[in-house]
Amino acid sequence: MGATDASASTAAGPSTVAPDSAGAAAVAVVVDGVTKHYPGVQALTDAAMTIRSGEIRALLGRNGAGKSTLIRVLSGVERADAGTVDVAGERFGDGGVRRAAELGISTVHQELSLVPELSVAENMYLGRWPRKGGHVDFAGMRAGAAAVFGRLGLDIDPDAPVGSLSLAARQLVEIGRALREEPRLLILDEPTSALAAAEVDVVLDTVTRIAEAGVAVLYVSHRLEEIRRIAHSATVMRDGRVVETVDTAEADTAHIVSLMLGDATEAAERPALRTVDRDATPLLSVRGLSVPPKVLDVSFDVHAGEVLGIGGLMGSGRTEILRAIAGFAPAAAGTIAVDGRDLGRPSARAMKRLGVGMTPEDRKDEGVVPLLGVDENLVMSELDSVRTGPTIVPAKVRNAAQALIRRLSIATAEPRTPIVNLSGGNQQKAVIGRWLHAGSRILLLDEPTRGVDVQAKAELYRLVRELADGGVAVVFVSGELEELPLVCDRVLALREGRIVGELTGSEVTTDAVLTAAMAA
Amino acid sequence: MTVTQTAESQVSPGGAPAPRMRRSLNEIGLLAAIVVLYVALGSTAAGFLSVDNQLGMLRDAATVGIAAWGVTLVIISGEIDISIGPAVAFASVLVAKGAAEWGLGVGGAVLLTLAAGMAWGALAGWLRARFEVPSFIATLGIWSALGGLGLYLTDALPVVLPSSGLFDVLGGTVLGIPTPALVMIALFLVFAYVARYTGYGRSVYAIGGNAPAARMAGIDLAKVRVLLFATTGLLSAITGILLAARLGSGNGGAASGLEFDVIAAVVIGGTALAGGRGSMLGTLLGVVFITVISNGLVLLGVDSFLQNVVRGVIIVAAVLVNVLVTKRSRATRET
Repeated sequence: MGATDASASTAAGPSTVAPDSAGAAAVAVVVDGVTKHYPGVQALTDAAMTIRSGEIRALLGRNGAGKSTLIRVLSGVERADAGTVDVAGERFGDGGVRRAAELGISTVHQELSLVPELSVAENMYLGRWPRKGGHVDFAGMRAGAAAVFGRLGLDIDPDAPVGSLSLAARQLVEIGRALREEPRLLILDEPTSALAAAEVDVVLDTVTRIAEAGVAVLYVSHRLEEIRRIAHSATVMRDGRVVETVDTAEADTAHIVSLMLGDATEAAERPALRTVDRDATPLLSVRGLSVPPKVLDVSFDVHAGEVLGIGGLMGSGRTEILRAIAGFAPAAAGTIAVDGRDLGRPSARAMKRLGVGMTPEDRKDEGVVPLLGVDENLVMSELDSVRTGPTIVPAKVRNAAQALIRRLSIATAEPRTPIVNLSGGNQQKAVIGRWLHAGSRILLLDEPTRGVDVQAKAELYRLVRELADGGVAVVFVSGELEELPLVCDRVLALREGRIVGELTGSEVTTDAVLTAAMAA
Repeated sequence: MTVTQTAESQVSPGGAPAPRMRRSLNEIGLLAAIVVLYVALGSTAAGFLSVDNQLGMLRDAATVGIAAWGVTLVIISGEIDISIGPAVAFASVLVAKGAAEWGLGVGGAVLLTLAAGMAWGALAGWLRARFEVPSFIATLGIWSALGGLGLYLTDALPVVLPSSGLFDVLGGTVLGIPTPALVMIALFLVFAYVARYTGYGRSVYAIGGNAPAARMAGIDLAKVRVLLFATTGLLSAITGILLAARLGSGNGGAASGLEFDVIAAVVIGGTALAGGRGSMLGTLLGVVFITVISNGLVLLGVDSFLQNVVRGVIIVAAVLVNVLVTKRSRATRET
């Protein structure tokens, strides 16, 4: 699969449609005064923007800035409390998803919703398969799919099972599916975030072509590099408001970052700097780690008592690095050393025995055993200390669990409560607690505050720093770059599989981290 | 997109009982049902309450119960074993042939059969663990192969056991209690202990509850899975030996359909087919429940084909009640 015209846009800057040129392109979408309130959260306040046909508008903002809510309102999934949306002059009103489709708004969400066993053509007509004479019109579907890809200059076989396609190709199928409806506004939610660098070009080219055909595109992304390549303009949101819309050719990164962050009252939040002894042998050393296709070349050290942050956007390779170190994914190249001793290709068991503990990114899928109690989830990785001979002694389990529950302030009625009953933050504490119980010296935390409420996050940060005070080496991976200064002594910026920056001590500020991770 | 969590009380919504009590509810409910059955059958079925019949029921229970302990663990771990029937039959053939025709002597034949049971079980477990062959398929293969082998080796005729003191004891009683029942109870205690108090047992629950999480926590999934099926193989072998001792012969066609009775007993006892939940006590009550119903239907003179209909209806009803009760009281969270 590939684009039929070979070159990617090497010149920086988007295509030639200049929506600002006097009256050249019609207005596609006008959002005015849109407000949306959820219980306890003011998600959108007075959001306003105007997008022209053929314009690619990037949408930027921190997590929680309101981007998703705005998209949900535009795609009809949510109804705004106030404000109006007009598409090509027609008022959106209250219609919901069907109205959005009528008006020509198509959305490609972050999570792909394709059926792997069905063909490309079948997926593009999912749920709306054309009939001919009482049975499904496969020929018609095939032709329709081929027509869409033809317009985009893509070489994708309509009969190929989607499961056999690369992630980039699947993303294109999703985009193709959205295009089938001939939309006026195409909304793309982080379309390249899960793609490796090499795959991104085709997607960007396709989006450019789509805009050239007159479709207005709203492109949500954190990746400034890509935004500069294809977007004409960028709207920055913060705290539920539209802050400013800038011309991507003119605005510089620092300006955009400051728009995203506002007057960060960061000084008040920053904890005191910690002293870390970096002269001793590092507890964990990684050199030249490569886990294709996401991780290309990563090297770093972590010292005892240090909290090392690895910040990067989704798709930069964060999780793959941790899994390779913990022994759950084989690295193609590179060395891993613990206490200065090179380990070759360590197995998960070997790493666990050496004191490496990893908390996975997705605690629901890989972290907790939901029906077992908090106590069992806590002691699961190390049973010897709660056993006498082969027998697990309930009293020992209870004591161990209670000690950890107290230490981590896990809110649970009793230790035996099924862990699924706990809030996300408390579940996360328990998953971390599991490795404390196992006596881990090296903790690899993959997005430990994902889906965790504000108070629990603060408790987790404090806990991590306390553990480091006790001599544990912590690697703290996060896509929420703003939290790294709150907990890390040193931060590595990860972009497209490589370390692109290192910040130490007082250099670690949200601005600096964000800039390094996004920079273009 | 994630939703912010708010702290919530630990009592499940709707004021339903906390989880531990809920499990006991299931078992108490079963016990109550068994009591009701006893009362009903005691008054309507001739001879139900006689000592002879009670002992007979104990013996019948053992045929299902012994294997049921192992299958309970298998199902809790998220797998299934459908090989029990032919495995038991084949074991009876092996021990009979070994003792009567292959000159292994009684002790040797018994050992051979036990070893064979562990071997075919371990094979199924290895196929699952190493090659991810679904356990249904792996044990289906065993079901088919052992069934055929048993009949082939015997030309579908019974193989008479040589007379032996050991077989007499195994097929008879000890202190008035049928030996198989004693074996069943002894094994129940062992398995209840293993399930609750050993690392292996807790690993089974962990794997069934969330296999990726168990793996991340350092549990050896492959080892546990092989052991699980080797165990059911061993238990099938034990059941086959006891059956042969009772019948006085090894029979390739014996224990037909036993696998479904075992699974039914386990599921009625509250073990979820999806895995992650279950208890030995529940299975014990499930075994008793099924045995009492089967026995009652026979004593009531119900046509043998209709008996199957009744059993089918009761099994579905029992599990339906179980599922409804559990759904209502289980607290689930979306993260």
